Amino acid sequence: MKQKILFTTKSKMADVIHTNYGLIPIISRFGIEFGFGNKTIEEVCSDKSINVWFVLEIINSYHNDNYFPEKKLQDFSTKLIIDYLSNTHSYYLDNKIIEIQDYINEMELAASIHNLQNIKLLNDFFSEYREELKQHLGKEDKLIFPYIKNLEKISESGKITKEIVDQIKENSIEKYEKTHDNLEVKLSDLKNLIIKFIPPVLCPEICQKLLIELFRLESDLQNHANIEEKVLIPKVKLLEKKILKQSENK
Amino acid sequence: MKTNKIIKVAIASNNYIYNLGIKTILSVIGIKPELFEINTTKELRNLIIERDSPIYLIINEDIFNSNLEQELYKVKNLASDCPLLLFKNNQTKICHSMACISYDENQREILRKLEDFFFSNDVNKKTESSILSERELDILKEVALGLSNKEIAEKLFISINTVITHRKNITEKLGIKTIAGLTIYAILNGIINPKQVNNN
Repeated sequence: MKQKILFTTKSKMADVIHTNYGLIPIISRFGIEFGFGNKTIEEVCSDKSINVWFVLEIINSYHNDNYFPEKKLQDFSTKLIIDYLSNTHSYYLDNKIIEIQDYINEMELAASIHNLQNIKLLNDFFSEYREELKQHLGKEDKLIFPYIKNLEKISESGKITKEIVDQIKENSIEKYEKTHDNLEVKLSDLKNLIIKFIPPVLCPEICQKLLIELFRLESDLQNHANIEEKVLIPKVKLLEKKILKQSENK
Repeated sequence: MKTNKIIKVAIASNNYIYNLGIKTILSVIGIKPELFEINTTKELRNLIIERDSPIYLIINEDIFNSNLEQELYKVKNLASDCPLLLFKNNQTKICHSMACISYDENQREILRKLEDFFFSNDVNKKTESSILSERELDILKEVALGLSNKEIAEKLFISINTVITHRKNITEKLGIKTIAGLTIYAILNGIINPKQVNNN
């Protein structure tokens, strides 16, 4: 892939979108809305009181496949990272998944008698995936993220309880890391089934839209997983170590 | 059409203008077949009997003298591997499962139905699944039915390592990794029957 020039805090927000419209959903995840005139990334972020450096690193990591500043991203607070990840979760569940489901439903409605069974199979496959995604993201939102927030709170206050020490020992983030399954594989299968094996459908426009959305979701999930695995989890491991050490010194 | 093989199409009708029309539509939807033009049921019968590969049959009801349903039934029985499309008067009533086009249908409908007829009845489909070797097909079948590597090894009298190698090759050839995805591929290509999956 061609090397892409990275944006800086002085880049104009409008230029960011003109250069890479794939970033539209990313900036909206930060609550940035259109109508930013000629303002730079820095100005837009300061208007909204958002951490400009964090926005910049995220935008650049999406923009350029070869750019993933793990170390720089690890410097941000876990709260900032978690808030961003949670926003991304609701973007997947409340927007993307529903959009993709609608396309598949439309394809099923328009399918010929001969192809109907095939499209139904795709639909079942996607429903199953949808459930898995829901559970995976739900577990992070309800268990993992609160655990991490709690760790940070305790580490800051220094009030280390026996409960937290036990929790770290029994259910460390490493345990979770091992079971953190890959969400992109099934999507990739779905893409290949459509591209290579399902007989041509009667509504090629919808099929094209569906494929484009699947590609987008797949690369979005990839980036999302990178942030979790290369940024958040290493940070949490450090936190856990720090707390365990503090508890031993007591 | 998935393969570049030339397909065979028979146009059966008494009407010259109609025949010409069908030929034009075929070239519009991009099909260049080996063409057979037929005027009588006897010719149709001979063509079907002597075929060495499936033929797409586009039949106009005007070649049948009497009892349309019965005649069609005979044709279907003789040519079970040949996709069949019937052109008919909109008053003619036939079985619902038969693919047919009425004279009064508009251009869009007719094109759609003809395209559908050719593209969803791909008679060359079998060569498609030859992406995989015979042995890989055996393995894929068991995987799709939900058997573990160990179970497959025992059932087919091969080592687990062989099963793993086959599975790796299958995934590489198809670009499909998950069992759920492989199951769908197997159903699409008639390697397993969807009912078998439900039973497991």
